[in-house]
Amino acid sequence: MIDRSYKDLLKMRRFPHTWCPGCGIGAVLKNVAMVLRELGWGSENTVAVSGIGCSGRMSGYMNLDAVHTPHGRALTAAEAIRRVREDLHVIVLSGDGDLASIGGNHLLHTARRNPDITVICNDNEIYGLTGGQAGPTTPKGTKTLTSPRGEPFPPLRLGRILTEQAPYFYARTTVYHRQHLQQCIREALLWKGFSFVDVLSDCIELNGRRLGFRTAFQMLRWFDERFRIVRGIREHLEEDELGIAQAKETAPTKKVPEEKYEPPLPSVEALRFISHEELERFDGREGSPLWIAYKGLVYDVSKSPLFQGEKRMRCHIAGKDLTHEIDAAPHGEDLLFSFPVVGRLV
Amino acid sequence: MNHTMRKLLSGNEAIFQGAIRAGARYFAGYPISPTSEILQQAALHAEEDPTFRFLQGEDEIACAIATISASLAGVKAFTATSGPGFSLMQEAIGWGHVVEAPCVFVNSMRVGPSTGMPTQPAQADLFQVQGGSAGDYYPIAFYPHSVEECFRLTVTAFNAAEESLSPVVLLADAFLSHLYELVDLEAIEVEVVPRTKEPLGRGKRLFTGTAHDKLGNVKTNDPDIYRAWISEIKGRHHEVAEKYPLYEYLPREDSDTLLIAFGMLSRIVSPLKRRFPFFRPIRILPLLAKELREVTKSYRRILVVEGSDGQYGSWVQGAIGREVISIPCLGGGFRLRWIEKELQKRLEESP
Repeated sequence: MIDRSYKDLLKMRRFPHTWCPGCGIGAVLKNVAMVLRELGWGSENTVAVSGIGCSGRMSGYMNLDAVHTPHGRALTAAEAIRRVREDLHVIVLSGDGDLASIGGNHLLHTARRNPDITVICNDNEIYGLTGGQAGPTTPKGTKTLTSPRGEPFPPLRLGRILTEQAPYFYARTTVYHRQHLQQCIREALLWKGFSFVDVLSDCIELNGRRLGFRTAFQMLRWFDERFRIVRGIREHLEEDELGIAQAKETAPTKKVPEEKYEPPLPSVEALRFISHEELERFDGREGSPLWIAYKGLVYDVSKSPLFQGEKRMRCHIAGKDLTHEIDAAPHGEDLLFSFPVVGRLV
Repeated sequence: MNHTMRKLLSGNEAIFQGAIRAGARYFAGYPISPTSEILQQAALHAEEDPTFRFLQGEDEIACAIATISASLAGVKAFTATSGPGFSLMQEAIGWGHVVEAPCVFVNSMRVGPSTGMPTQPAQADLFQVQGGSAGDYYPIAFYPHSVEECFRLTVTAFNAAEESLSPVVLLADAFLSHLYELVDLEAIEVEVVPRTKEPLGRGKRLFTGTAHDKLGNVKTNDPDIYRAWISEIKGRHHEVAEKYPLYEYLPREDSDTLLIAFGMLSRIVSPLKRRFPFFRPIRILPLLAKELREVTKSYRRILVVEGSDGQYGSWVQGAIGREVISIPCLGGGFRLRWIEKELQKRLEESP
């Protein structure tokens, strides 16, 4: 016998519902109810929140306390409810125009704040209730009432936007792939944090017919042709893939710069004594290093590009105490400090 | 009186403390002068008290929706903004009236329209408060004139919200928000109306902004159901407002000219009380029509000094059915000398 107990979660006395025959929203509603029943969630611990539009009517048919917000504000309302009532499961049942267009700003910021709510988005790629105008997810080139020559702009790619920053849960499925739809809804409801299920759904009357489909079934078969199911947990989904992309919160992404090892500077006391006679031997002759003295310290300047042959550092002669010369030189003493100190002049 | 308990507090701080005294457990806000301090205090308070939640929203639209949603979820909630933010909140305010969510919206007015003059005081959001959202609704609004009154009226606003099941507006102005006065909040005794509306998760109700019947079923083509619903709302709001007929009246018999002012301007014009009888409405909406009719009876001329181009004056004129002389203090110019000069000119014009 078929288990029909999920109907307890629907306001059956309000049926028949407002949606057109063949519409995909009914399938979304039914599968949400079935998964809620399976999980044992009900009116005592679950609240449904919707926005405006055909899809926004879903919460009104749920046999739960439901909040039907102004256009686009479902996510904000759901977040606030969840914030003050951590004992409640909050699910958002709404459409792509509501969530991604007028509520686009809220989508970005609610996802960023990551409240523990689940969003079931009935994504039919059209504004259905108002008669079939182009929406934020309408594919480029689609003819609608407001794009008679074909939608000129590319659609918003929710799959990319919502999987940009961990933690995230984004699932894409369709009303045709029923088992997969239920699986995605179940995983999303059980996910701790913000989860988003993008359910591709058919609007036969106000989108499909204009596209050339004669029946809702043809449109469902079109979903089968357009998409393929990928198994397992992905990081991202390609545009033709149905599946689940998720990522847990990662460790702080800010990279701590590696500390460069710098040997401690030798203390002046530790340096060896160098006499004037010894210094004079290191004047670059016969390949010897080039040393000069400045203010009592002896520097090895052999690596200097200014070394110009035997005994000479441009204007200066190596192997000598050059304190007076360097103080008088236009370049100052800074030039010297990058060279290693080899000893103390005595 | 024990002076040691008095503290120097601003209007904004008093409003926040008033909300806490009234039992507020949620605040949502977006930074805007002159109410950012309320948002900052909410953030600090949330650190101290884990039962208090706060949201710095992405915009005022989100904050207003969050406030109403938190109220539906079962806690007392409020938000604070200024004119430009209040414009964004209008959508949510209309929704709050339909879903019957008790909450408080603080609007500290600055010079508009649009960004206007941040942050000069004004009183020109009265029309916006009365009907900025779509359709008919019956808001209740209070307007204090001192830091202590900010505290008291915030509690009153929360009480009126719980009784009327609607978003109640607490008006202030940039001057009052940033006005510092010595007050002892501990010593102020207030009555707090507890929450009676059932929170979410207790039934199978639908809270919708669409017209609906008593059971929450959407009814979008039945004028009778709509009329019954709106007359119930209207009746309830006026009944609650009747409980708070707040005003201040100082009669004088040596003058035939009544001076009306409210909010911060009523403080600024107080030296004029020595010359003119004075009326200060505290409940701005619904209009104190009965009281105004009664008070204005004995005066020949009615003068309204206000920070808008005659918004309150036009309501008074409508209520008493005769002409009212308006002295608009525009552009944030709340200055006594200018008001006195303008007043003299107007009185000479209409002897």
